[in-house]
Amino acid sequence: MESTKSVMEPVAWIFQMLTGLVMILLVTLHFYVTHMTSHEALKYAEVASRVAQPEFKALYAALLLVVSFHAFNGLRAILLDTTAGMRKKGAVSALTMLAFLLAFIYGLYLLFSI
Amino acid sequence: MGVSGWFRFKGRSLFSWAFTFQRLTGVVLLIYLLAHLTYLSTLLDKTGATYESMIAITVSRQFLVFDILLVLCGVFHGVNGFRIILHEFGIAYEYRKPLLAIFTVIAVVVWLYASYIMYSLTGG
Amino acid sequence: MVRFKIRRYDGKKSYWQSFEVPARRGMTVLEALYYIKENYDSSLAFRASCRMGICGSCAMKINDKPRLACETQVLTLGNTVKVEPLDNFKVIKDLITEFDGFFEKHKAVKPYLIRKDDNYAEPKELLQSPEELNEYYVFTLCIKCGACYSVCPAAATLDECLGPAAMTAAYRFCADSRDEGQKERYEIASSSNGVWRCHLAMECSEVCPKNVEPAKAVQLLRRKTAFSILKSLLRW
Repeated sequence: MESTKSVMEPVAWIFQMLTGLVMILLVTLHFYVTHMTSHEALKYAEVASRVAQPEFKALYAALLLVVSFHAFNGLRAILLDTTAGMRKKGAVSALTMLAFLLAFIYGLYLLFSI
Repeated sequence: MGVSGWFRFKGRSLFSWAFTFQRLTGVVLLIYLLAHLTYLSTLLDKTGATYESMIAITVSRQFLVFDILLVLCGVFHGVNGFRIILHEFGIAYEYRKPLLAIFTVIAVVVWLYASYIMYSLTGG
Repeated sequence: MVRFKIRRYDGKKSYWQSFEVPARRGMTVLEALYYIKENYDSSLAFRASCRMGICGSCAMKINDKPRLACETQVLTLGNTVKVEPLDNFKVIKDLITEFDGFFEKHKAVKPYLIRKDDNYAEPKELLQSPEELNEYYVFTLCIKCGACYSVCPAAATLDECLGPAAMTAAYRFCADSRDEGQKERYEIASSSNGVWRCHLAMECSEVCPKNVEPAKAVQLLRRKTAFSILKSLLRW
């Protein structure tokens, strides 16, 4: 039975919980802004002016970071639950974390180019 | 056994349902995140024309049912996830059955409320 | 008469077979299986030993739920009783499943007291207060029947997954005040096949015939494991 100490696993576990808790607040806020008041908030001019404010920019960047980590780390956990995924454990971890970084960087690029 | 082992409910308790729903909604939300990021690429058109034409589809009446299902996924994943985090910290393990019931009710109430708001926003 | 539908397997093909058993009040499923073996089909294979819920041999799926055949009374189950081997285990014959891997995992977590002062020539008494005993007592009740493992969704898809029973055994010794082997066991439990594969389906606690609460043990073990690793990281 293999018993190599993994640093990735406990760190990923704790961050999965922390990002989950943060997301409960941020996603609710995000949803409140876009859907709860009126759909006017979805107009291009409205979106552009929101994103231009530093507070919203920071909020969106934080949301993007926690959501993409939570999503791809969750995918990693699901894949590692299978024998096939566990056989290629290193590749699964590397690819999902790469996907997380790509999603985060692409989102940041969008955020700063609008 | 294979992945079908995640979908066996015969003789199982509600906890198995919660687990499977958590997993399914997680995958749905991952796919939605990718779609959402792709969708937001339309913001790169600085005139706003591409974005406006896309947003017109998503806020339309026909699209509402997808929106409501997506909100169900999000609300369930969030509420059920919070319950799991409580237990992972070792909190309220003895009360897991009533907690499952309470949190499911919370998820449904929040979902119905959000659906109602979205329904009225699309001119219901 | 109660109708028994039994899932049989002869090494090549798997099929259902039905038997009529005259049920008495207080008759257990295990007694019914013995009745079938003695009166209808002597080739019916199943594991059993103590008949009193202490050896953990006769766990099987009875009406879709993993239970001990010796502790389940026939008349509580209705007119038809469906008996199948446990899920997540390889079936050898009829109701007998392969337990070698399950016991290997149990061995892997070192389920015994580890002491620095082991001296068999001069054994000394290890004292423990009732409070210290209560820390882990409920987890000592495990009889290794495999019911928890058979419903664990992680064990369903990952053969190497330690599973609830082995991790409960690991926690039972880690929480013992006489034990000094926590570090070794945390390292085993923190492997990718260990505590991180639990996602709190909590079905193991639902089916455990001894109410051991494996799901709780896994959470407690995971918390201790995570903090021990993070602590050792920060000290670096």
